[in-house]
Amino acid sequence: MILPRFDYEAPDDLKAACKIMAVYGSRACLLAGGTDLLIALKKESLAPVKVVALDRVDELKGIGTASEGIYIGARTTAAELADAWLGSAEQALAEAASLVGSPLVRNLATIGGNLATAMPAADLAPPLLALNASVVLERVGAQREVALEEFFVGPGEQVMSSEEVMTLIFIPQLPEGSGGAFEKLGVRKALERSIVSVAVVISLDDDGRTINAAHIALGAVAPTPMLAREAAASLVGRRAVAKNFAAAAKIAAGEARPRGKRTSTVYSRLMVETLTRRALDRAFQAANI
Amino acid sequence: MKKCHISFQLNGIITEVLVNPNQTLVGMLRDDLGLTGTKYGCGEGDCGACAVLLDDEPVNSCLVLAPQVDGRRVTTIEGLADGEKLHPLQESFVEKGAIQCGFCTPGMILSAKALLEREPHPNELDIRTAISGNLCRCTGYQKIVEAIAAVAEKADNCGEEN
Repeated sequence: MILPRFDYEAPDDLKAACKIMAVYGSRACLLAGGTDLLIALKKESLAPVKVVALDRVDELKGIGTASEGIYIGARTTAAELADAWLGSAEQALAEAASLVGSPLVRNLATIGGNLATAMPAADLAPPLLALNASVVLERVGAQREVALEEFFVGPGEQVMSSEEVMTLIFIPQLPEGSGGAFEKLGVRKALERSIVSVAVVISLDDDGRTINAAHIALGAVAPTPMLAREAAASLVGRRAVAKNFAAAAKIAAGEARPRGKRTSTVYSRLMVETLTRRALDRAFQAANI
Repeated sequence: MKKCHISFQLNGIITEVLVNPNQTLVGMLRDDLGLTGTKYGCGEGDCGACAVLLDDEPVNSCLVLAPQVDGRRVTTIEGLADGEKLHPLQESFVEKGAIQCGFCTPGMILSAKALLEREPHPNELDIRTAISGNLCRCTGYQKIVEAIAAVAEKADNCGEEN
């Protein structure tokens, strides 16, 4: 497959990258891991004048922990996330990262790219939604932080302006006794776009049994990755037992808005229920370690 | 479209190329540099036939733009043998009958090499996971898994002798 013609630039730092985007705007494309962009270019669904590679922008690399939470550079790869131990709740993100594409893809694909392409089935979106993450967007002279739940607009659409570069993903610090898990359904174990995915994060009270906070996020069952708010709310103040998990999973299935494109809506909802129950079970175990 | 002047380490040798920005890494290796050991398969990152090591990690070279490797290290299948002497993985693939049509072999061997460097004692699941981005339509994978396991075992035995 032959790529269309474009100019190429690899700025040395974030400031330079923002400057190029300020000049070219929607006529330029940012290149991070390239696992989505190169395919879009080959299929000519994008035809930029300029491709701006972020390879040299070291400010976008690396994972940092602070008292307020975890900062993940937007160019951190899925392979790096899969190998990182960030905590018992954040493990949901590592699990999802370990299931992105294939090992070859994971060495290229980045967290920023996975969010910016805004696919309904993006593997890293549900765990980050469940972890209450936000993204930092930068352009010349301005920076803003957007909560991830406000970030996605529709399939392939998000709130970034064409002048902005995503720099960071921030995960706020969770209380002790929190646990997370990710579940993905596909027809095979590698190179698979999720049919349904579920991420769960729960925080337990000091008694180790009462749920103080819960977040449930669903992938591939709505135009955007989404939070199942009612399901999560149903768990707060309750005991972490199978009966309550099953009830919450049923509510989550009702909140899903599958479009019936890849599987029937009935099947999608049933799988949301099953995967939510499994994820809650494992998140509870993770919280108790 | 302005050409890009890049300099990178290719199989240990500093290589300078003037390349079109819309050239992929696999295209540059095969068409501009004549290294046809790297195969071009699906062009979409699914088959793994084009796998090369980029800074020692296996990647789909159809999903990398040629100018992106400026200043980096690329290892292709041609970089593995030591003169006429095959790399232990190459020998093992021949020995175990892990090659049929051979189209997936370069990518398989590079994925396996990266695995053994990271994990010298892989179990079967480690091996199968490491090659899960490399599709083979001939062998059913069994011989390939055996070939990789045999190299790891051999290395273990040598270690004990020492």
